[in-house]
Amino acid sequence: MSLFQEFLVIAAIICSFSGCASVSVDRAVDATIVSVVSETQYSEADAIEEGTIYFDYDKYDLSASAILEIRELANAMKSNLSARVRIEGHCDERGTREYNLALGEKRANAVSELLRVNGVASSKLTTVSYGEEKPVAYGSNEAAWGKNRRAEIKVL
Amino acid sequence: MINRICLILLIFFSSFLIAQLRIEITEGITDPIRIAIVPISWNLQDPPREYLNQIISSDLESFGEFEALSTKEMLSLPKNEKEILYRDWKLLKVDYLVVGSASQGEMPEEVIVNFSIVNVTREKVIQRSISSGSISYLNSLAHVISDRIYKEINGLPGIFSTKISYINKENSTRGKYFLKVADIDGRNDSVLFSSVEPLMSPDWSSDGRSLAYVSFEEGTSRIFIQELYTGKRKALKSEKGINSSPNWSPTDKYLSAVLSKGDNPDIYLYEVKKNTWKQLTDHIGIDTEPDWSPDGRKIIFTSNRSGSPQIYEITVSSRKIRRKTFEGTYNARARYTPDGRSFIFVHRREGLFHIAVQNLRTGKLRILTDTQLDESPTISPNGKVIIYATKKDEKNILAGISIDGKTRFVLPTSSGEVSGPSWSPLLKAFDWSPLQRLINSRRLF
Repeated sequence: MSLFQEFLVIAAIICSFSGCASVSVDRAVDATIVSVVSETQYSEADAIEEGTIYFDYDKYDLSASAILEIRELANAMKSNLSARVRIEGHCDERGTREYNLALGEKRANAVSELLRVNGVASSKLTTVSYGEEKPVAYGSNEAAWGKNRRAEIKVL
Repeated sequence: MINRICLILLIFFSSFLIAQLRIEITEGITDPIRIAIVPISWNLQDPPREYLNQIISSDLESFGEFEALSTKEMLSLPKNEKEILYRDWKLLKVDYLVVGSASQGEMPEEVIVNFSIVNVTREKVIQRSISSGSISYLNSLAHVISDRIYKEINGLPGIFSTKISYINKENSTRGKYFLKVADIDGRNDSVLFSSVEPLMSPDWSSDGRSLAYVSFEEGTSRIFIQELYTGKRKALKSEKGINSSPNWSPTDKYLSAVLSKGDNPDIYLYEVKKNTWKQLTDHIGIDTEPDWSPDGRKIIFTSNRSGSPQIYEITVSSRKIRRKTFEGTYNARARYTPDGRSFIFVHRREGLFHIAVQNLRTGKLRILTDTQLDESPTISPNGKVIIYATKKDEKNILAGISIDGKTRFVLPTSSGEVSGPSWSPLLKAFDWSPLQRLINSRRLF
């Protein structure tokens, strides 16, 4: 019998005689946590920013000027058949991150949908939402928020 | 073996390189329980320099419920129950006293602490305990002792051995994102994954061994499962559009999550072993941020189907949906309390975003925080404390509040932005624990 087990038995015997408080045994939680590093590296941005569409708070409908801008882009894309674009939806920092990810997608989809309605093949369009993860303006004020509620159109 | 040593060294040094979170109480309750943790006497030839009693004291003081006496204030330092002079402790208005001693275990690294928790007013020992741990992990050993003391006095599980995971982003515009895990006092932080693209929404599996999270490393959002103690990483089958908000079911058989492959974000169920998705909600608006009820029968989620984000609850078997929030025009990211009777969530009032709690049966809503841009609330497994993300001095930080609203604290970090906290379940000593392995091997012979 090990010393420790012996101790436990003796402790139990003492306790049973003296009617004292019960003995509990706890073990520490510890572990070696393994670190993994992503192999993704930044490819220096070779994408050309074609334009940015701005939105109202918690909204994903397009303003009149945005509609005009997107129609122009649709025409340009129809005359340049190899052109493909990626539309990135973004939000300001207010509200929750996961809801904003969904909101950003609704914004990107609004732009993509209008391009499609205006004759751009869906195969030329990809969308991604970054929610509030990639702000362009910092600061907790309307000036910064207004700049961050956007869909960026990038030529691939 | 060399690999193992390298890994340990890496983790050891990384905790110096990367700033740690530290709990700072900003407001405590007015009448805390007074406790004295007498320095543990070491029956070792070469006792460690760290003071177990100080770690235990600071654990218990973490959330404002306890006030621990410093060694300097103590009038006597009893090594065991027999040496206690109750008059001394009554004079100091101490409610509880802990005395104990540590000795060498049978294995080379093993430390065994025998301690007694004493009710001073009743002059009675309420619990005698033995905790064992490794001398290289004295913090973990101290947390286990703190958990035991907390449980004996408050009747609820202690949460000092639990951990939090969170996302840490470097400050520069192209700063890296880190998925980290730390003890709740901010010590022992380690990096689980890092990427130049955003990381989001970590969520602990119910068994405490894995995390699910969202990574943009492939250019779009994708959900990953990573085992904490092997580093094994698995990408969930990805679908067109967003893949977000993973949340484990109580049995870890399923994840609820959000996909937008049907052109709008809906809640889906992912069966872990089969790698398959099944649609749960279907609405043209946004459905997101699912959380499984503790009994596994319901899922609470955010939907803007009424025109503004509100909280809904769906019964998984019948798919019956009930709206739960009616106050205000922004209610989101609900998480059930461990008893399943209430939920905590983000509530907007007068343009400001607060953490609130609402009773599921009565519908009574209570705002807990007075900060402004609060999000991502996560609750401790004993239901007593909430940690959430907020903004202070233009910086994303983590803050906390007790569920009764009486204790507030901030977890500051000196480098980068912190977001998306997720509180672990109560953790058990698994077979991966170095100490557990020692004990197991002893049992084998």
